[in-house]
Formats: sequence, structure tokens, C-alpha cells
Amino acid sequence: MAIGVKVMKRPEREVSYVRATLKGMALTFKHMFQPRVTMQYPEQKSTDEWRISPRWRGTHRMLTDEQGRSKCVACGLCPQVCPANCIKLVPGEDEEGNRYPLIYEIDEFRCVFCGYCQEVCPEEAIHVGVHYENAEYTRGRFVYDLERLSSQTHAVSTLWDPADPKGE
Amino acid sequence: MADELLTVTIDGIAVQVPKGTTIIEAAKQAGVLVPHYCYHPSLPSPALCRMCLVEVEKSAKLQPACVTAVSEGQVVHVSSEKAKEARKGVLEFLLINHPLDCPICDQSGECELQDYTFQEGRASTRYSEYAKRYNPVEDFGPDIIYVPNRCILCTRCVRFMEDVAETPVLNVSERGDRAYIGIAPEQELDHAWSGNVVDLCPVGSLLSKDFLHKARAWDLDKTASICPGCTQGCNINIDTRDDVVVRFRPRPNLDVNRHFMCDYGRMGYRWLNRGDRLEAPLMLDGGRLVATDWDTALDRFGALLDDAAGPAVLLASGRTATESLGFVRRLLDRPDVTAAIKVPLGDEAPLAGIPNLALRRERVPNLHGAQLAGYGTDWAAAVRAASTAGLVVLLDPELDRDDLAALSGLPGRLVVMGTLLADELRGAELVLPVTTMAEENGTYVNRDGRVQRFLQAKAPPGMARPAWWIAGEVLAGPGPDADAPATAADAFARLGAMYAAFAGLTYAELGLTGRMIPLMGTSGAAAGAAR
Repeated sequence: MAIGVKVMKRPEREVSYVRATLKGMALTFKHMFQPRVTMQYPEQKSTDEWRISPRWRGTHRMLTDEQGRSKCVACGLCPQVCPANCIKLVPGEDEEGNRYPLIYEIDEFRCVFCGYCQEVCPEEAIHVGVHYENAEYTRGRFVYDLERLSSQTHAVSTLWDPADPKGE
Repeated sequence: MADELLTVTIDGIAVQVPKGTTIIEAAKQAGVLVPHYCYHPSLPSPALCRMCLVEVEKSAKLQPACVTAVSEGQVVHVSSEKAKEARKGVLEFLLINHPLDCPICDQSGECELQDYTFQEGRASTRYSEYAKRYNPVEDFGPDIIYVPNRCILCTRCVRFMEDVAETPVLNVSERGDRAYIGIAPEQELDHAWSGNVVDLCPVGSLLSKDFLHKARAWDLDKTASICPGCTQGCNINIDTRDDVVVRFRPRPNLDVNRHFMCDYGRMGYRWLNRGDRLEAPLMLDGGRLVATDWDTALDRFGALLDDAAGPAVLLASGRTATESLGFVRRLLDRPDVTAAIKVPLGDEAPLAGIPNLALRRERVPNLHGAQLAGYGTDWAAAVRAASTAGLVVLLDPELDRDDLAALSGLPGRLVVMGTLLADELRGAELVLPVTTMAEENGTYVNRDGRVQRFLQAKAPPGMARPAWWIAGEVLAGPGPDADAPATAADAFARLGAMYAAFAGLTYAELGLTGRMIPLMGTSGAAAGAAR
């Protein structure tokens, strides 16, 4: 049996593309007069309507004192509290008898960005950063050492809303 | 009557204690901890910290529990409102000048001030407008620094040096809130037992330079062990962090070392952390030592023992566990065997205030265990005998240059059971890696004949096994039905069948404080051959 093709006879005004094109172009031209929502990332990082939350928890930053030394005293609380076990800390003593970290490394691949390290830090040294651009050429570069952590300049997370610290 | 029993009720728990017992000791029996700083069971109590104040019914004022003797029918409240209020006040006074050093303080995590403040102290200070007293850190001696800011003046260290070590170099200088622990002019805290002041210090005021910043208290795993320093056999805890031994600390045993250990023993842990350990059995194959597996190595060992002609020599270490010494001695159970351990000698350093406690001359922990297992102590004669022996077995002995020279190029066959392999011994027929005392369960016999257990504190490197396991497997022979000891407990129980002195003893019976057995051999003389 030969295959029969049924030809539908629809009204001209339903199958004409002119009508659909005009409808589409009307929508397009309407957007030319509406406010722009596209953000020109990466040239533009934030707009008035959209900015990253101050409580964003990104890759870490170690704060430094006036002399440029890290504020860390190697107390060992952050490796202890870290649920991902991604902080390596070896304490040492400097010439003045102060305790400081000989080795302080954070494996950002293992990190789950919970922010406990910042919360537990008695010296307000280690912070999670308001930062999300972390591309690297090698995997090894994702283990941040003390020098790298201290030289970061991005903003740090506030973890809680300063206006409402208890989250009420 | 000296042992008249009195009944006292402490926090609702009735206990019977002998007359003359203090409330703090009676409370310990009732399972109630009375917070305290200046009191220590091995030191005289001056009752000066006022932390142990407890409420005693029918008494007008709170009483210091550490010096108040119990009386019949006494009712004591340790955790009543009144007593808690008093302790809160004491803690507040102690914290006025105490720096907020916890993040950098070595004691943090095992600090009694931290613990009690957390339990029942005030949550915040009422003295924030005053500057805290500040004194610089002082160097007290070869291994001890003093941080005066953290000191709470409990004077445990002063009393230890005065009443126990009987070398009164420490004192309380100045008065009132200017008081600090002073050291006598031109003196150093270098007594052979001075390291104990660091353990006694309830806060982080006296610190060990060796342990400074090495580990936080909560990182440490503690394992009950025995000090491998001398024949005294002090009970210790081995503190490890990630399988690295970071310090030895005394473990209380009132019959051996009370709460103390000497500095020589305290520092004798580094050899347990060596990185150049033997990790696999090595067999001589075509003039070279080649790594092999345990089955092959054990078969080879058995064949070597069967083939060996002429006299045999067994050189062992006095740090080896009794189980290993006994089983390896049993391997060479024949008449023409010379078995000896090396006993390095040093000066005896007694702790004056405690009877029968000293750093002993014989600096090996298991001299008496070795003698019971049939080892002699004439090391030089044994090394000489090795030069003509048909078979020489080394059980991890500490060899100096002369020994190595004598043992390299022997005419007979050489089997090394060791933790390390010196270059001079590379001609050995067979090299078997064994564990150190920190990597196995075992026992030592101290100079009084006390058999004491030590437990495994860290993982052995590579394929290293305890020497008793090696000897047990070889004795049992190959095959699936061979009856070799599987655990150290098993090996120890079987030791009784080989050596009469250990008959009937088990690990369960020894517990963690040990048990006395009669010593048959006399010190220095070679005990009889293996029985």
C-alpha cells in the first residue's frame, strides 16, 4: 500500500510567517526600551541590583598585622574543627619567642567552605573570602600556603549579618 | 587502731575510709572529684589554693578538703551552692592576672585552670579595666622555662623540689599579687628529676623546652607503656601524634614510680621515631640482600637453624620484650649457645623523697626479664664467642663501632633480627625487620621482679613484626596446622610453659600495674639456660 500524505488546508492567516515575524520583532524591539539586565562579566563584577553577598564563603585569606606578619598564632583550632581535614599546620617559634605557623596550608579542593575555621579562630586571622574566581593552570596551585593566603587582598566574609548577628 | 574505718557521706555517697584520710581522698573513693590546685597525692598539702573548699555539715566555715581529716558520720557537700560559689570566687581571683594565652599555651587542653573555669567559673571578667601583671619569660634550666604570667602559685613545683627531690632551688619570691616562683641565685633547675615540675604544674607556667609548640594536647594519643630507660621500670604514657612519639609522661603507679619519672627516661623517646628502619625481610641471594616475603624468610630461618653446626651466639637488646627474648632464646635451645644482652651503665640518680625510686645504673629496661629467659650479661665474651660460632643471631642489639668491627666478616652464618641494619652487617644470611617497644605489646621485668605490660603506641613500619612472632612461627614450623602464638597475650601465656618464673601469668592478671614474680638469677650473673 502506497503511503498517502494528507495535506491540511489551513486558513492563510494561520500559516503566514509574516504575522509571526512581526510578532517576534515586536518583542525584540520592546526590549530596546526596557532596563538592561545583562551584566558584562568579567569586565563588570557587580551592579546596583546584583552584588555578591557579604556572607559569601569562598577561598581563604589570612589577615596580617601592621608589620605584615600573619595574625595566626598556630593554636591548632582550625585544623581541629575542620570537617574536611584540609588544613595543615605545623607550629614554630620565632626569634622573639612568639608562636607562629611554620607551615600553614589549606587544600582548597578538599575544603567544603563551611567557614568553621573563621568562626573558631581566636585571633581573627584566617577568614573565608568573598571571592569566587579561582581558576589555575595546575592542581597543585590549589593548595594555598601561608604566603599565598596572606597576600590575598579580596574582601573577607562577615559570616553573619552585622545588623542581625543572631539571625533573628 | 590504725585501720579503724569511718563512714562519711560525700555528695550523698557513703564511703568507708581509714581514720586519718583527708576529705579529698575519701571523695576520690566515692568517685567525686574535688577541684584542686595545690593538692597533689605525692606532695605535702599546704592548703593554700583554697580551691578544694567543701561544705561540711555542722561546721561554721567551708573546709579545705585536702587537709581536713574525715570524722565518723561526717556529711560533706562538694557541689553545694555554697561550695560552688566559693570556687567561683577563687577562680575569679586566679584569672585576674591570668593572660588569655590559651591559643598559644602548651598546656591548653590539659590545663586544670581551663577545665575548672569552663566547668564552674564565671563566663566573663569583672576586671577588664585593669591591666594584667606582666613579667617576662624566665629560663629555669636545660629543659624548663617559666612563664610567670600564667602562674597561679600553687607551689607544687616548689614543694616537689624541696620535699621530694630535696634540692630546694625554687621558692616563692615577693608577696601578694607580685609573687612569682623564683629560682635560687646562680642555680639552675637541672636536677635529674626536675622535669616532673612540668607535669605537676596545673597550668602552662612551667613548660618543657623539648615539647614546646610540638603538639596540642587534643592531638595526642596516649598509650600506657613502660619507660625503656633503666631497670626501674617507671610506668609511663607514650604520647603520639600521627604515629610520631612526641613525649613520655609518667603514669601513676604507687608501687613503682608514684607520679614521677626522671629526665633521662623522659628524653629517651627519639630512637622510636627513626626514619631509616628496616621494612621488609632481606635474604642473601647471589651475594646481595634481596627483599622477600615472610613465608620465604621464615622457611630460610628454620633451615639455617637446622643446618647450623658448631656453637651458636645470640646477642640481644635489653630493650626487647620478655616474650621476644624468651621465644628467640627457645629457638637456640641447645647446650653450646652463648646468649647475652648489652647493659650500658650510667650513674645512679635517686629521687630522695621516694624510697626505692632512682634512675638506675643499668640503663636497660628488661635486664631481669632477659636473665629469667636465660641470657647472660657478659657482652664482651659473647662478642668474642661470635668470632668462632657457626651461627650468630642478633636480636636488635645496640652495637657500637667495636662490636660492628668484630661482627663483620664472621666465619659462621649471621641472622639479623633488627630495627636497623648497619652497613657492616650487610653480609648477613638473613635480615628480619622487628618492631620497637612502641610498636608492639609486651612485658618488661623490672629490678624488683615486677612484670609490667606495655601497649602498642604506633604502627610498625612496613612489614616489621614482633620478634616473638617470628620465633613463634619458626618454632611451630610451616603448614596450616602449625600452632604459633597469634597475639602477644598468647605468646606471654605460653612463656609460662618455657620458663618457670612466668608460669600461670596472663596479661589479664598483670593489668596495667604489673605483678611481682620471684627473681631467680642475681644481678650481673648469668642465669641458668632456658628452662
